[in-house]
Amino acid sequence: MLEARHLKKYYTVKEKTGWFSREKQLIRAVDEIDLSIDKGEIVGLLGVNGAGKTTTIKMLSTLLTPTSGTITVDGTNVVEQPNRIKQQVNMIAGGERMLYWRLTARENLMYFGKLYGLHGQTLTERCRQLIRLVGLDEAADHPVERYSKGMKQRLQIARGLINDPDYLFLDEPTLGLDAPVARQLRKTVKDLAKVRNKGILLTSHYLEEVQELCDRVYIIEKGHLLLHGTPERIIQTVVNIFHLQAVVSGQSSDSIWLKQELEKRNVQVSVKDSDEGKLLHMTASFDMTASFIALVAKQGLILKKLEATKPNLEDAIIKLAEESHAS
Amino acid sequence: MNLLSIIWAEVRKSHRHNFNNHLVYFSLFVWPAILFINAYYAFKPFNLQAGSPLARFVPFDKLGLFLITGYLAYIFFWSLVQSAWQMAYERQQGTLELLLLTPVPRIWLMFGRAAANLIEAVWLFSAFSLLIILFMGGVHVAEWWLVPVAIVLLVLSAVIWGGFLNIIFLFSRDAGVLYTLFEAPMEFFSGVRMPVLAFPIWAKSIAFLFPLTYVLTILRGVVMEGKTFRDLSGSLILLLGVLTVLVIASLFLVRVAERHAKETGNLTLF
Ligand SMILES: Nc1ncnc2c1ncn2[C@@H]1O[C@H](COP(=O)(O)OP(=O)(O)OP(=O)(O)O)[C@@H](O)[C@H]1O
Ligand SMILES: [Mg+2]
Repeated sequence: MLEARHLKKYYTVKEKTGWFSREKQLIRAVDEIDLSIDKGEIVGLLGVNGAGKTTTIKMLSTLLTPTSGTITVDGTNVVEQPNRIKQQVNMIAGGERMLYWRLTARENLMYFGKLYGLHGQTLTERCRQLIRLVGLDEAADHPVERYSKGMKQRLQIARGLINDPDYLFLDEPTLGLDAPVARQLRKTVKDLAKVRNKGILLTSHYLEEVQELCDRVYIIEKGHLLLHGTPERIIQTVVNIFHLQAVVSGQSSDSIWLKQELEKRNVQVSVKDSDEGKLLHMTASFDMTASFIALVAKQGLILKKLEATKPNLEDAIIKLAEESHAS
Repeated sequence: MNLLSIIWAEVRKSHRHNFNNHLVYFSLFVWPAILFINAYYAFKPFNLQAGSPLARFVPFDKLGLFLITGYLAYIFFWSLVQSAWQMAYERQQGTLELLLLTPVPRIWLMFGRAAANLIEAVWLFSAFSLLIILFMGGVHVAEWWLVPVAIVLLVLSAVIWGGFLNIIFLFSRDAGVLYTLFEAPMEFFSGVRMPVLAFPIWAKSIAFLFPLTYVLTILRGVVMEGKTFRDLSGSLILLLGVLTVLVIASLFLVRVAERHAKETGNLTLF
């Protein structure tokens, strides 16, 4: 298990205030964050721009020294034994940088592999497997500069796996990828956790992606931990609005009765006329679908259409952002 | 993990990355050759016969030899200033950060990279220089075994110098000033074109900061002046001293640079 406790990272920056005068300023990029990642688990790290996600990931991957707090990977302290940890973790960032563009995929992987102390048959074999894993077999010996964005990103994933890490940190891995490519990548990530038992920490601005992939989510803001739980739990705790739309055939009196009955049960209802019958729009702080159907059946009405919209993670995040603005 | 495999990885990478286009070899050869020819003909119009100020330090008939050995050694050092500049590119490309993500000993990487770039950058001009030397004649060697020793010293000093510069580039994105700082001064002060002995005292004191100065004294002593090991032992000790200082400084600075980078996150600023 990877564990971070009371993690903090403060940057000191010098602001120019004049030609020769400078003022020191403290930026609390990460301020008291606790998190854990188990092997085989995908954990999401969410937050708006500048919340401290990248800073957190870089501390976990030994690229930044925490100002205070501890990080342990399977019991080993990251600050005390960075070289041991470096064999166990790896990091992948989104975007097209972080590769040698004039080298081929295979050459990139061979180079980084050697820096991890791999050599000979082991290295060649691992490169071959990784190229296969990310589906770059055909382009493996073309220079990276000829690759599309998606191919570069896949190569990044392969590069991040070159040391066969137990824990992998992905910083916006699907940035700028189109839908099918992003979906393929999500599948790869899922397999890495579920089939190969790697612990994965993922940041992303695509909330559907997080909801689909992550077993647990941490939401941070301005370096603080705001919430933590499964995506479903977070949605439930934060957003308690359910929407239901239905079209029923029948008399106006029927819809008036429905409206009254629903309002007794704390459901807000608006009624409109439509071609097929009465269009009802209902909102409540609980899932009212069952009670609505029971009422329709009791009155002997015909239900022509029923559509429920569940709140998603995006609603939750927006709600959280609004609340923190208000306070 | 071993040093040779790191050097080999760097050779492969820099061959594909920096020497990818064959025009590079052309410039690596043509540019120093022009410098040499330019310097040679710049001296020509002056009276350099016995009795002239320069002739006290370099005999007229050995001027060509003096200059070609000067530029040969200079190219060794200079090519590594250029390769250190690649570090700025790696910073922008984000690969520098990835290098520090790996457990590779930093000092190996910095020196291995210098060694890898050196071989490829200098072989063509070295061959040219050898031809010129054979063609011009005037070689005067007392102890032949000193020739390979001088060459090894040249390579070793250049690699240590290059590794040191690579480390400086770890510190800051603005290390590019080194380029301008070292280009002309190193050529001038190290005695590539003019004998250091002919310098005024203030210029001599700058000259002795560059390892190239000692390397040149030794190389020319061995090849042109027929000096013996005993004659050169003073320069040899000074050179080894300077190299030791550079290595110790490198070992120290590479740790400071990484600590600084981990503290400020400056590797991603460019
Ligand atoms: N090297 C640095 N020096 C000073 N301040 C920094 C540095 N890196 C990041 N910061 C600041 O720290 C805060 C957190 O930045 P960080 O990059 O971790 O955010 P993030 O959550 O990854 O944002 P994004 O979603 O935009 O990637 C920001 O206010 C940022 O300006
Ligand atoms: Mg970020």
